[in-house]
This record gives sequence, structure tokens and C-alpha cells, in this order.
Amino acid sequence: MLWRRIFAVGIAGALLSSAVPQARAARGAFPQAAASGEAPRVVTDEVGRTVSVPAEVRRIVTLAPNLTEIVYALGLDDRLAGDTNYCDTPPAAKDKPHVGSPVSPSLEAIVALHPDLVLATTSINRRQTVDALARLGIAVYTSDPRTVRGIIVSIARMADLMGAAGRGAALVAQLQARLDALHTRLKDRPTVDVLFVVWEDPLVTIGQNTFIADALRWAGARSVIESKQNYPRVSFEEVVRLEPDYIVLTADHEGAEESEGASLRARPGWSQIRAVEQGHVAVVGSEMDRPSPGLIDAIEQLARELHPDVFGAKTASMSSAAMECACVR
Amino acid sequence: MSASAENGAAVAPRTATSVQDAPVRLNVEQASYAYAATGRSAPDFTLGPATFQAQQRELVAILGPNASGKSTLLKLLAGIVKPLSGRIEVDGAEVGTLDLRTRAQKIALVQQESEVLFPLRVWEYVLHGRYPYGRRLRFESDEDCLLAGNALAQVGADALRDRWMDQLSGGEKQRVILARALAQQPSLLLLDEPTQHLDIGGKVELLRRLRRLADESRYTVLVVTHELNLAAEFSDRIVLLHKGKCLRVGAPAEVYDRDLLEEVFEAPLEIEVREGGRPRVILRGNL
Amino acid sequence: MRPLTPKRVFWICSALLGVLFVMVVISLRMGAYPISVRDIVMTLFNGALGRRDRIPSDFWLVVFGLRLPRIALGILVGAALATSGAGFQALLRNPLADPYVLGVASGAALGAMLSLMFAPQVPGAIQAAAFVGAAATTGVVYFLGRRGGQLDSATLLLAGIISASFLSAAIMFLGTTLSGRDQRGMAFWIMGDLSSPPSLNLHWLFLVLIVAVGSIYTTSSDLNLILTGEQEARHLGVNVSRVKLVVYIAASLLTGLAVSVAGAIGYVGLIVPHVIRMIFGTDYRLLIPASAIGGAIAIVFADTLARTVVAPTELPVGAMTALAGAPVFIYLMRRNVR
Repeated sequence: MLWRRIFAVGIAGALLSSAVPQARAARGAFPQAAASGEAPRVVTDEVGRTVSVPAEVRRIVTLAPNLTEIVYALGLDDRLAGDTNYCDTPPAAKDKPHVGSPVSPSLEAIVALHPDLVLATTSINRRQTVDALARLGIAVYTSDPRTVRGIIVSIARMADLMGAAGRGAALVAQLQARLDALHTRLKDRPTVDVLFVVWEDPLVTIGQNTFIADALRWAGARSVIESKQNYPRVSFEEVVRLEPDYIVLTADHEGAEESEGASLRARPGWSQIRAVEQGHVAVVGSEMDRPSPGLIDAIEQLARELHPDVFGAKTASMSSAAMECACVR
Repeated sequence: MSASAENGAAVAPRTATSVQDAPVRLNVEQASYAYAATGRSAPDFTLGPATFQAQQRELVAILGPNASGKSTLLKLLAGIVKPLSGRIEVDGAEVGTLDLRTRAQKIALVQQESEVLFPLRVWEYVLHGRYPYGRRLRFESDEDCLLAGNALAQVGADALRDRWMDQLSGGEKQRVILARALAQQPSLLLLDEPTQHLDIGGKVELLRRLRRLADESRYTVLVVTHELNLAAEFSDRIVLLHKGKCLRVGAPAEVYDRDLLEEVFEAPLEIEVREGGRPRVILRGNL
Repeated sequence: MRPLTPKRVFWICSALLGVLFVMVVISLRMGAYPISVRDIVMTLFNGALGRRDRIPSDFWLVVFGLRLPRIALGILVGAALATSGAGFQALLRNPLADPYVLGVASGAALGAMLSLMFAPQVPGAIQAAAFVGAAATTGVVYFLGRRGGQLDSATLLLAGIISASFLSAAIMFLGTTLSGRDQRGMAFWIMGDLSSPPSLNLHWLFLVLIVAVGSIYTTSSDLNLILTGEQEARHLGVNVSRVKLVVYIAASLLTGLAVSVAGAIGYVGLIVPHVIRMIFGTDYRLLIPASAIGGAIAIVFADTLARTVVAPTELPVGAMTALAGAPVFIYLMRRNVR
């Protein structure tokens, strides 16, 4: 009786333990969704990884909201097999199958969707997630948005990978044209010193190496805080000392602009800042935080707020028209 | 002899021949020790040189006032420290040269208290005394259980077997600690001021038990104490210490000299000799 | 008088292994990818026999590529942490001792962080650095914890707490210099993450586990005695200094192992040995293996919850152990103050 039990325990243990070494062999075993006969393309992504992308990309999974936006902007949303819980722009993205949060998605959920290509970004995804997917043999392309132009180039590359080079080129050209136009108009204007507020309490702003800092430059502005850190904390005293001309906040919805500015004046400490006192509080859409086509809208919006003499009074209709232009017809 | 010991009458001194025939368990030859607070300065305290022996079935009292070096001598006997000069031998082997396990097989030191951290049953505690025998990672054999049971019986704590250690009274706990020491089957049983926290009834009961252990179970018991009358009543031999010096060794009647004791204990004393030859010490005159 | 026998140890450990087995099977069943128990069993069976071609590659991937490695890692980490906790509790004669209290885990985490900063692409660097961090902290705390040439429990505990605070501050300070991406990765890892398999082969890590647990087990009789008093143990023939050294090194090794592969998972080293004690008694000859298996069960369970509670998002397993561990800890504390 005793021996039979030992035997059973041993068998179970052996079964399980012999299964573990097979895990190594599971790497690279992921089947490609389409056996199109063409060889996969080998590219280097924006963090230096070598990625082997199948010739035909029919199923895409995005791991961040900005990437979802890009896929929709390229008109490839019918190929989007899954995105994250937080992808809500455009609203249709909420109905797609979800794989979890960008920071901690479920690897199994991703596997279950059989993606040909997974898109990730350094701005929110973890290195470990990308490594784990690569170990399973899934093609993961990681973008690394640092500058606005870099974002545009990234869009073109991703479009090319997904087999939509034409549409990508058109979108890119359009975005670039808008930026150039903006640049022309603002060329001779003095740069506006701004403080871009990521978080109010504690006060967090952006560093020099972020794409947001670059976006500010395109809008004819400059962040008063120069820091190598991406999201440095600053003290009130420092801000008061540096005397920015404008405070820039992001808002999640239109109509929040007025209330944001007013509430800021009411907060202790903020009213000491000259910009707040003078009502120089610019509120831009949350697209400013996302490296996607919508960023260009946000840049234009900010430019209009900061340089009213160049653009004239801002109107709601102008901004919505700008939004529509982001999509390719 | 055992009958008279049980009913509390004075224990008759054994005949000289029976005592002298018993093997010598402990042999202390000119052992000395000294320690200082810091390494370089002159010693704060010096003990010895001390010379005495203890035979099987003897109960030896190491007697002296406070700070006379009793505890230091005990440490030497237990092998906790090595003597600076001289030898201390148990069963012919020098204590300092023994490895830890062998030493534990020969010498058992009974402490006054035991701080048990997690709940432990009495029999588990006593079984610990079998540790010096067998391998380091060991599971107790039937023989171990038998010996531990015997040890409990020898101290009259058989009924406490299944109790939890932290639920025992002070006296019960002391008996269990003694039982663990007995489970080691030592040649030498060392006790450091065991009567300190006991009332007079407890003191007598303990000494009687120790006497019985020496007589019937052939242990050699060494008790460090400052209790003059208990030492006189129950011990075969007394080692008198004073300020680190071993002044006299011998039977109580030989050691208990009035002038000597008054000098050592710094109190006015009177010595009576009772029937059976054992002295009794009382305070003299008006205080 | 019923002393512990090898047979009893065997039976209790077998029973616990049975519970672990059941937990593993349940955990294999749970996950976002739909796969039935029958398919799991067939995959395991065919996998054990090497008949890979018989199984759809998706099943293979999910079972052998995702779930099983994670479960195996959980077993490793749980066993390591629980055993090290039991060891530290005997060593310090303190029921609240645990690798985190002693700062050893923080040292490992700091090592891992430094390797992430300076050599992120080198495979195995994070594990090696965490080992070094744990070992170095062990050495420093051991050195600081001596009084009069002997390891003193109270001083050791104090040295451990101070080291833990210092190392945590260092970690936070260094964290501010990381890039956003690495900060995110570090923050998640710090909370306990079983989803990234180590680059070192699991077999080697299990070997280290077995050697370390085995070393502690050889001192289990000694530890039983030390728990009733160090002086008394010495008088009974226990080489207390040597035992302490062995246990301290082995327990630190186990902590370094666990932290290096899965980040900081707290409470396991504290709670599991106590629960095992409550059920099976305080004898270390049973406590050590039972805690190891118990720890494995606890972590596999916690990780299964972490994977499924807010699916498809995955929580860090350290969050689950903290959520469950804190109330259990309070309950234990109140029980002790009888």
C-alpha cells in the first residue's frame, strides 16, 4: 500500500518535472497565422531588437493607446485583433478584445489572439513583457518616441510593416505638411516660456528628452525646466523663480479649459505664479501626452493659445476640423 | 540507608570503605583561572589553585559566600572555560580536550531557568537530553524514549509528561530541567545555586532528591551553594571557597570550624554537632 | 511519548505534496487561453513522452511555454522564502524574523537594480547581481550583529532593520536616475513578478534550492535545541556558532535566489512557517520540509489569484501575498498574546 502511494507520487512528480525542460523547446514555436509562402522580413525596431515580421500581417495586437490610435488612423482597424483596457481613442477601440493593462498584459490573452505582429512602445510597456513575447516566438515591434518627427517616421515604419505603406506615406505627408506650416508661421516669433504640468501635487513636469518637450518646441514654446529625467519633480519656489509665461495643462475633455484655469488660481501657492495671476493658463487636449497623430492637433491647439497674435481668436470649430483631418479618407 | 533518607531523618554517614572503593569521577588538580575586564590590565579576579576529587555516588557542595569564585569554578568544571594551570579530569579525561558531544555525555549542567520560545511538551524537552548520543540529525530511538522516561521518573515528574512547558510551575519546571540533565546519562551532574528561588520546603525536597540520585542512581552531584546547613546536611564533601581561594576540602564535620566559617561568611556563628556527626550552623548571640 | 519519526515526516510531506499537486493542476487550468483539463493532461502526458507532434502548437505554447514555467518558478520561490524564514526565526530566536526584516532581500533587490542599470542586456546578470547583493548584505549584517564576538539576536535584528532602511533608500534614490521604461519595469518587479522566467536554467536553480534547504535540514535537530536556549544547547553538545553560520548562509542564499528571479515577495517567510507550526508542531525536523512545500503551495495559489482576479490584467504576486499575509499576520500576533 505504501509502495503504491510512493509510486503514484513519484510518477506525478516525474511527469511534472519532465515537462519543465520542454519549456525551453517551446521558444520560437509560435505558428505564423498565414503561411503565405513569402519569407518573413527581418527588421530592427526602435530599441535595437531584431524582429522577424511575417510578410502578410493580418492580425495585430497593440499594447498601448497611442498605438491603437495609429492603427485606426491608418485605416487598419479591421486587422486589429486586440488592444488594451485603456484604449479608448477612437471609441470603437473599446469594443475590441482586451489583453489587459499596458503595463501588465496577459501573455496568454495575447497568445490566444494569434497575432502576426504586436506593437509596443517604450513610453508605457515594460521590457519584460516584450522579452517574454519574443521568447514565445511572437513578433514584437517596439517604438521609442523621442521627438515629434521621430513619431512621424515611426508611423511610417509601422505602416510599412503592416503592409500599408501607401496609406502610411499619405498620413505622414499630411502630418508633416501641417508641422511645416506651423513652423513657417511661428518662425520669427519669440519662444514662449512654459511650464508643462504632468501632475499638480506633487508638481511633476517633463524633461528635455521627452517627445512632449519636442512638441512644445514645435508649438513655439520651451519648457522652463531643463532636466535629463523624464518626469522630474520641481518645487514651487523654482517655478516662481523661473517665471514661465504660460502654464500648460492637459485636459481630458473640451470645456474643461475654463474650469481648470480658474481652479488653479484658487489653489494656494499657484496664485503666486505670475502666469496664473495673469490668466496665462493654456489647456490642451490629452493628445499631448500620446505619441500619435492626435499629437499634431494638440500642438496646433497649443500654438494657437500661446500665440494669439499669429492665429487670431481660437474657435471650437477649428479644433474639431483639425481632428478630422488626422484620419485618412 | 535509603529508607532513612526517605523519612527525613539525618542521613547516616556511609562507611569509609564503601566511599573509598567508589571510582573517582572528578579529579581537580591545582586548577586555577583568572580574568580581567580588559585584556591588558591585571586580573580582576583570580581563582585557585584548587584541588579536590569527587567519587561516584558522592554529593559535593561547593560552598562560599557571594563572589567567592563558585560560579567560576563551576564553569571550569563544565568545560566552559579552560583552566590557566592545572587539570580538570572527568573519568580520567581532561575536560578541556573533550569535543562538545562527548563532554555533554559526561557532564550535565542544570540551569535554573529555561526560556522556551515555541510551545513544547515536557517529554519533548526531556528528549533533548539524548542529543549527545547518536548522529547530529537524529530521530529518537525506543531506547532514548525509555531513558527519558526513566529520567522523568527519577525526579518524580512522570505525571508531567504530556504537559506544556510554559504551563508548569517553577518547581515543576526545575524538576523537568533536572530530568533533561539526567537523560544525558552524565557521570557528573552540576547544579548552580539550585535552591535560590525555592522556599524551605522546596529546598529540602530538591536536596533530598539529589541525595537519592547520588545514592541510588550512582550519579556524582556537585552543587554550588551558599546554604550552610543544607550543605552540611546532605553533602559528603565540602569545598570551601573564599575570595577565589580554596580554603578547605573535606567532610562537613571537618570543614565546619567555627573560626574559619566566621571569617569566611563574616557573621557571628555557632556550630552544633547533631547525632550522626553532621554539624549545624546557627547565628550566635544577640543581633 | 510519541517522538517524531521519519515515517511521520514522510507522510506529512507526502500529503502536502499532494496538496501542491492539486494546486498545480488547478493553476494549470486557469488562464486567459481556453484549454480544457483533458487537453492539459494530454499535453502533459505527450510532453513527458516527448511526443510533441501530437499536440497543437498553441497548447504546447500555453502549457509548457507560459503556465508551467511560471508554476515551477512559483514553487522555487515559495519553497526558498518559506524555508529561509523558518531558518531566520530559529537563528534569531524571534518569531517575527523574516528575510525582509534582516535587509537581505533589499540587498538582493539593490543588486538586481544595479545590474538593470548597467548591464540590462546581459543574460543572467540580474540573477547574479541579486545573489551578490544578498550575500554582501548577509556579510555586513552578520558583522554588525556581533556583540563580544558572538551573534547576538537583538543586535542582529537591529542591524538588519537599519540595513533594510538604508538599502531601500538607496534603491529609491537610484530609481530616480532610471529611464521611464526601466523605472516602470523595476517598480513592477519590486512587487514580485513571476512572469519573466530567469535566463538561467531552472534545473540549476532547483539544485541550489535543494542544496540550501538540505543544509538547513541537517541542522534541524540542533535548531530544536537552540530554540530552548543557546547556552543550554551548547551544554548539550551543539556547536552553536557553526550551526548559526550554516543557517545564516543557507537562508541568505535562499533569499537571494528567490529575489533574483521574482523580485520582492513578502510575508511568505513569516507566515508559512507559523501556519505549519500551528498545524504540525514546532519540531524543525518536520518544519523545514513542510514549510518548503507549504511555501510552494502558498505562492502557486497567490500567483494563480494574481493572474485571474482582474483578468486579463495581471497583478504582481507580491501584492497578493501582502493582501492575504497582513490579516493572517495580525491574527497570529493576537493569538500569541494569549
